[in-house]
Amino acid sequence: MMESVVAYTLERCVKCMKCIQACPVSAVSMENNRIIVAHERCTNCGRCIDACHSQGLVAQGSTLVDIANYDYTVCLVPPALTSACRSKEEAEDLFNGIKLLGFDEVVDLSPYYGTVLRESLAYQTENRPAIVSMCSVVNRLIKTEYQVLIDHLIPMNYPAEIAARDLRMKLTDKGTVGIFNMCECASRLVHAKYPYGTLDSEIDHALSIADTFPLIRKNLGKGRQKLNLCRDGFAAMDTVMLGEHPRVLAADGYDKVQNILELAEFGRLKEFDVLYLLPCFNGCSGGQLLFGNGYLSHQNIPSLTEKETGCCQDVSQECIWRNSFMAEEDRRSFTEKMEFFRKVNEVLEKLPGYDCSACGMRTCRIMAEEIVSGNRSLSDCHILNSASREDVQ
Amino acid sequence: MTVLLHEDYIVERGDFKNAGKVSSTIKEKLKMIGIDAKILRRISIACYEAEINMLIHAWGGDISMDVSDDGTVRFVFKDPGPGIPDLDDAMTPGYSTASDDAREMGFGAGMGLPNIKKVSDSFDIASSPEGTTITLGFHL
Repeated sequence: MMESVVAYTLERCVKCMKCIQACPVSAVSMENNRIIVAHERCTNCGRCIDACHSQGLVAQGSTLVDIANYDYTVCLVPPALTSACRSKEEAEDLFNGIKLLGFDEVVDLSPYYGTVLRESLAYQTENRPAIVSMCSVVNRLIKTEYQVLIDHLIPMNYPAEIAARDLRMKLTDKGTVGIFNMCECASRLVHAKYPYGTLDSEIDHALSIADTFPLIRKNLGKGRQKLNLCRDGFAAMDTVMLGEHPRVLAADGYDKVQNILELAEFGRLKEFDVLYLLPCFNGCSGGQLLFGNGYLSHQNIPSLTEKETGCCQDVSQECIWRNSFMAEEDRRSFTEKMEFFRKVNEVLEKLPGYDCSACGMRTCRIMAEEIVSGNRSLSDCHILNSASREDVQ
Repeated sequence: MTVLLHEDYIVERGDFKNAGKVSSTIKEKLKMIGIDAKILRRISIACYEAEINMLIHAWGGDISMDVSDDGTVRFVFKDPGPGIPDLDDAMTPGYSTASDDAREMGFGAGMGLPNIKKVSDSFDIASSPEGTTITLGFHL
């Protein structure tokens, strides 16, 4: 089971419940005055982190101290970060600045994103439209809420993972190699051995751009690292550029992504070969750990890639493909399912239906499920309690 | 056989803006119950096609859903007319009488009824100028 990246600090929490209401999959709840994130539901979209004004919820990456543990260190830089630069010169300066943090090599991921785009366009499947599995938020969302579409997911590794596998094979003569990934959003932080313990990943450490950038800034203006960016790589994380491909349907923003998944579940959208679904607004350039503005970043892409000749990275097939996605099975019998559903509806009738989250659950329905499961009781509903108090008076 | 869950829905005449809303609600309900994804896929496709048919070919209509304790779900799509003149034609893949308006919105490829029949476990259709009734059954 995948971990949730959301870290909670009780001392900072002001109990405003905004995170509970922000969660699109009802994974956040409050129990005994503490925020609890249900790992099995959480898609790591980071909306609760965005909603938190008191820094009570954060997503944290590894620290740079770990560089010392390896003979040779590589830092992966996603096109989402590069696109925050206004010119190629600025990008080259940024890459140099990252290298000066102590890395032996800084690798631009845009050619690997380009590979993902190329492979996804060539992917053959009966389950049209195929869905690109580049974002783990979408993959988790499909696994938990849109299971009908699970065999539409292209079983491909994440671009950073492909790069890490590729580099691992190329750098065998360098002693112990440490691969660090600069992450533009909370969900990417999970895909590394540290800090969240994804042991089957070839990435050793996930770094948060938000935490690392203050350190990088001190190194700016000290030199350049020559870059040859891949335009297709930028296209793979930008819905406007993806829209240039006639058989690709691209959507950004969590709500729109859900709209598209709804339609696909109805068997619509078969006229498209590939769906690119990016839950952050403006695609990955809108990742919440980035310092820039997604709209501005999008505007930077043409000038960044205009004169570039970089093309997709050729990598071995074993780096690209992964096992098919599997849904978690509901082992309850039909009778058990119906009985639970009936009881939940019965309890729901008694609840006020305001979805106020005062009880700590996002909606009355989730509360009703918890009551039927025996985790809560009707007396935990604040509205019902205040109503009965008025009755007494 | 006892009906464990009965739901009624209305499809308003000409309400293209909400096309597919009822099917979405049905899908949500069945997801809440925890219906197997493979069956849910077939139910979703059938309900959506039938709901859209009501919008483009008929003057709206009523949809009902019955989930029974023997593990079956039955849908009845009942519209007030104008009826299907030739059922054999309507069941032929590719045959369509949809208006240009409807086609412009991406509907009316002539695959509606054949598709519904293909994905459902039982299919029954009756039509007269007073209306069309489609009854679908699925084993959950």
